[in-house]
Amino acid sequence: MTSARSIIAKLSPLLACLGLLAVWQIAALWLDTESFPTASHALQTVPQILGDPEQLLNILDSIRRMVIGFSLAVLISIPLGLAMGRSARVSAFFNPLLMMIYPVPKAALMPVIMLWLGVGDASKTLVIFLGVSLPVIYHSFQGAKAVEEKMLWSGAAMGLNGLQRMVRIVLPAALPEILTGCRTGLVLALITMVTSEMIARQSGAGNILFNAMDMAQYDTVFAMIIIIGALGIVLDAAFDKLRWRLVKWAEPHQEILLGAS
Amino acid sequence: MQVPLRPEIDTGTGATSGERARAMIEIASVSKRFETSGRKSHLALSDINLTVDDGAFVSILGPSGCGKSTLLYIVGGFVAPSEGVARMKGTTITGPGPDRGPVFQEFALFPWKTVLGNVTYGLRQQGVKRGEAEAQSLRLIEMVGLKGFEHFYPKELSGGMKQRVAIARTLAYRPSVLLMDEPFGALDAHTRTRLQNDLLNIWERDRKTVLFVTHSVEEAVFLSDKVVVMTRAPGRIKQIVDIDLPRPRIRAELLLDSHYQKYVVDIERMIDDGRDDAEHS
Ligand SMILES: Nc1ncnc2c1ncn2[C@@H]1O[C@H](COP(=O)(O)OP(=O)(O)OP(=O)(O)O)[C@@H](O)[C@H]1O
Ligand SMILES: [Mg+2]
Repeated sequence: MTSARSIIAKLSPLLACLGLLAVWQIAALWLDTESFPTASHALQTVPQILGDPEQLLNILDSIRRMVIGFSLAVLISIPLGLAMGRSARVSAFFNPLLMMIYPVPKAALMPVIMLWLGVGDASKTLVIFLGVSLPVIYHSFQGAKAVEEKMLWSGAAMGLNGLQRMVRIVLPAALPEILTGCRTGLVLALITMVTSEMIARQSGAGNILFNAMDMAQYDTVFAMIIIIGALGIVLDAAFDKLRWRLVKWAEPHQEILLGAS
Repeated sequence: MQVPLRPEIDTGTGATSGERARAMIEIASVSKRFETSGRKSHLALSDINLTVDDGAFVSILGPSGCGKSTLLYIVGGFVAPSEGVARMKGTTITGPGPDRGPVFQEFALFPWKTVLGNVTYGLRQQGVKRGEAEAQSLRLIEMVGLKGFEHFYPKELSGGMKQRVAIARTLAYRPSVLLMDEPFGALDAHTRTRLQNDLLNIWERDRKTVLFVTHSVEEAVFLSDKVVVMTRAPGRIKQIVDIDLPRPRIRAELLLDSHYQKYVVDIERMIDDGRDDAEHS
């Protein structure tokens, strides 16, 4: 049963993209300056960049750091956030620390981190890690705090010990909230990835972007913006799909009902 | 043929009748005080003494907020008493355990599990193989009238359906004591009657001990060996009424039985008295 409306709903992101490109194209033609290439020019440059092995390796470097930074952050932040949400003592211990780190732009720490860890992978991965950690900790904390106590009691009555309740009740119950944090974290990972490479120019997508900027290669600048933007959109969409699969039991309205009977 | 016209009334000590085996649960001088957000504390339960015999069906009646749920939580081991002790088979209760199965007023189902997943949960926890656990769970789901809904998630169920899942989930792992907090509160009259009968059947078959909170006097009298009537806050035991009606109890017969009717009227009067007390004080 695909109605016209659902087809439009599915196509709407694509239409939005096409609309944006059209506006860009018209604006660029109209302004006609060298620093603002047309959308078609920028799009034509994309395959050139991706076709160049050196550039491609640079971009893959970025993605690798992002994946490592994001994964480490999630692996550490979820247990920490959950523990904080369920234990006043753990929360009292970590809260002041997090309150201090929270408002600091993580990229602003980059110079100090570079001083200690150099300009290589370690610094950049650490900044990504920090950027991702806070939203994931925060949402895991909120999710764990909101778990209905009677649910934990039910588990305790069935014989689950403290750790089992944490893993088998608090974790799944807080999962929708945790994944919301992870989604924010994913976008932040992309942002901190680019910023870190802007500050420590050595490799990566941000490096290509800002080098091209310095050399006034505006086609490349805009092509890189398209590549990074597309990467963000694809990652976010993929993650949202995963999220939906994992927590469809919590979504307020959809049609599992029809399939079940 | 039945003797007492005036229901026999225990003094608040909850002395055992002595006929049947030993005490399953003893609640001795239990009080519970809640610290409410710094200012003043709230005395929810005051000096509760109650003995529940092995295999007995005991109901607790009382006005809203008198501490009925709190009393169940203390027996469940979820909440520690401020004073006094609760014992199970002579051992002081210090925490929850699978020997005492709670059915909470709020259901507290696991929303990420289907109906079947919820009911199977306790059995799987006890190491029962998946196939066997599912077979047993399916029988229970059918008993509570949810056949066909096995693969629904809790959010797709009505309040009454959730309540029935909660009952099945607890019955599944066969606790020897059931702690039921208004388990039939959200059900329509028809389902309620059916589940009352089912519960009585299970109770008679498995000889479980049941501590049952309800707001319905008829339900309490129909089901119970003993009805505990509590006063308005702070919750104290006002009276304990032994329900001396023969078993197995058939609802249709009982409704016409004058002893049954007298129990209901007397207990309703006790609860009304409590209300007057509260208004005058
Ligand atoms: N965790 C808590 N902290 C503070 N006060 C509490 C807490 N739990 C219960 N109380 C108080 O204790 C009293 C008894 O609560 P309880 O839930 O046991 O009543 P109840 O008899 O089950 O009521 P109902 O019939 O409405 O379910 C109430 O006045 C309530 O406000
Ligand atoms: Mg209650």
